Amino acid sequence: MLLVENLTKLFKDVTAVDNISFKISPGKIFGLLGPNGAGKTTTIRTVLNIIKPTSGKILFDDKSITHEFFNIIGYLPEERGLYKKSKVIDVILYFAELKKMSKKKAEEEAVLWLRKLGIVDYKSKKIEELSKGNQQKVQFITAVIHNPRLLILDEPFSGFDPINQQLVKEMLLGFVNSGKVIMLSTHQMETAEKLCTDILLLNEGKEVCSGSLSQIKKDFGGNHVKVEYQGNGSILNSLPYIIHIDNYSNYAEIQLEDKLQPYEFLRDIVDKIKVTHFSVIEPTLNKIFIDVIKQSAKQG
Amino acid sequence: MKKALIVAKWEFLEKVKTKTFIISLILTPAIIIAFAVTPAILTNQQNSSTQAIGIVDTSGLFFHSLNNALAKYKVQNEQPKYLLINLAGKEKKLPKIIRTADAYTLTGKIEGYLLITSGGTDSVEAEFRHKSSDITYDLNALDDAFNEARINLALSKEGMSHQRMKIISSIVDIKNVEIDKEDGGVKSQFLVLFFTSFIYIILLMMMILSSGGMLIRSLVEEKSNRLIEILVSSCSPDELLTGKVIGLSSLGIIQVLIWTFIGLVLVVLNVIPAQVFSNIIAILIYFALGFIFYTSIFVGIGSIVTTEQEAQQITSYLSLILVLPIVLTIPAIENQGSVFVQILSYIPFTIPSIMILRFNIGNVPVIDIITSSVIMIISTYLFVTIAAKIFRIGVLSYGKRPSFKELISWIKEE
Repeated sequence: MLLVENLTKLFKDVTAVDNISFKISPGKIFGLLGPNGAGKTTTIRTVLNIIKPTSGKILFDDKSITHEFFNIIGYLPEERGLYKKSKVIDVILYFAELKKMSKKKAEEEAVLWLRKLGIVDYKSKKIEELSKGNQQKVQFITAVIHNPRLLILDEPFSGFDPINQQLVKEMLLGFVNSGKVIMLSTHQMETAEKLCTDILLLNEGKEVCSGSLSQIKKDFGGNHVKVEYQGNGSILNSLPYIIHIDNYSNYAEIQLEDKLQPYEFLRDIVDKIKVTHFSVIEPTLNKIFIDVIKQSAKQG
Repeated sequence: MKKALIVAKWEFLEKVKTKTFIISLILTPAIIIAFAVTPAILTNQQNSSTQAIGIVDTSGLFFHSLNNALAKYKVQNEQPKYLLINLAGKEKKLPKIIRTADAYTLTGKIEGYLLITSGGTDSVEAEFRHKSSDITYDLNALDDAFNEARINLALSKEGMSHQRMKIISSIVDIKNVEIDKEDGGVKSQFLVLFFTSFIYIILLMMMILSSGGMLIRSLVEEKSNRLIEILVSSCSPDELLTGKVIGLSSLGIIQVLIWTFIGLVLVVLNVIPAQVFSNIIAILIYFALGFIFYTSIFVGIGSIVTTEQEAQQITSYLSLILVLPIVLTIPAIENQGSVFVQILSYIPFTIPSIMILRFNIGNVPVIDIITSSVIMIISTYLFVTIAAKIFRIGVLSYGKRPSFKELISWIKEE
């Protein structure tokens, strides 16, 4: 289990991370979310022991993170890049050996992973000869080849096409089953929503909301419906009991006043517009993200 | 420490395969050999065939003795080196003779001609007129021959016997003999050793520049693609730094070994004299100290810069510092015991080159060897410590280059 308590990091007069706390249990994916410059990377770097926190505690299995944790950590940084002029297999083996894997074991695992990700044919090619997506796969392998107990992934899906995104997602879910502690930092709310059980939303170094995803959705509340329609939807915009509406060309996501029941709303609109689909929806993480950040910006 | 070795192995293997390394490995000695050997080849070529030289002698007294005196110079196959042609014979008026002779020279019929004009009983003047492009024309032989002839003529006028004349006019060369305090032996070939030292210094410079450049480039690459973050989450910055320095040093050792081998081959082939290697151990020690010292500076700088352009800019400043000792060592050669040389022997930036030079051209007092080595070791230790501190923080800071104040605070940080 990874435990972070009252973590604060100051850079000269800038507070990059301001007193945040969270814990990640094995077998769970924890989402570290927030807009650019929120302090995600700084948080990750302190957890990785690359930089020292100004104050606060970081414990893994009740021990503070020191250099002996190097070999159980797997890290995929947001900005990708490998030694362009070097061979795929050499690069993988270098990082594996730095994680104290034996050369023989590393070679076996490398081939296994290359095969799993469908790039075993590129084993002896130079990195620069690979497509961007395939380079990302190689980097992904360097982060996981040593079977780390703590896996920290910063935007793991960026740069992958949908098929490969799916492949990586499946792998992450596989890691969940093997009891790894996984920390995921991302902007892709949809992905976070699908994968993470717990999240921490950061803005300007401060925690703006945290907890289990289901609880957050419940707390965020709101009376949301989705309406798909044909014809002129602008009529929906003028209805009185609507708090917020996102109207697209053939569907709308609507937040209703709490006292109004969704079925009453449906009854009201069927006369006015041709409804092809109607559903009650939970607020998406994306919406929560935007609303919460906007709100905290207003308060700030 | 084991991880440092893994880093070292990686750095070594990846760099040894690069074109830059292979080029600097082969090109550096090739350039130096070319510089050393080409002038000799050119001089030899110039002297390999007989040269036709005109003589315009208004007194008519010198042609015969000049011919005799120059007969001793030979080229291949016992052919005479100089073939003298008397140009004064056919024409009586001097300006016209000169015009004709000039034309011969310019069209290349003759190499040039010696114009001897006597302005009275005892005074005589001589000039050698040749094409303006032959600026390096070697006049020594003509000079000697002319003066020999002139003195002989003058002496025979005074009625001196031929034998006495020979004894008096024979030239005694002053031999250049340098006394070596320690073993009482002699050191000659001063120039050879002087230029050898320059070659050593240039080799050291090339080595530092090429490997320092490689170090900076690899650091910039790792910083710009954030590989450095993966590295420092796998091993400590100190291990990473140690590994990089060990890797580069092994690369340097390989380079020196190969260069030494090339040098030995050249000694065996008689291209360069064996004395070149007489101080090799002392030279290699200063080589190593200088290499580590400058590498630590490159590490510090490599951890501060963030782009290739910045790296190049700073590398060129550093190469100026490296060239400085070469410029400074020129005065050193003139006066070995001077205060100036002493001062340069105490500055870590100049110690390696000045000491290599001093070892080659004379005997260095033991006390100077000890002080310079101690200064070198202490300052290298200091610079490595400072570089390591800058490295620890610098490798993770992106964007703006840190100010001097920030750097100081990094160095102070525990």
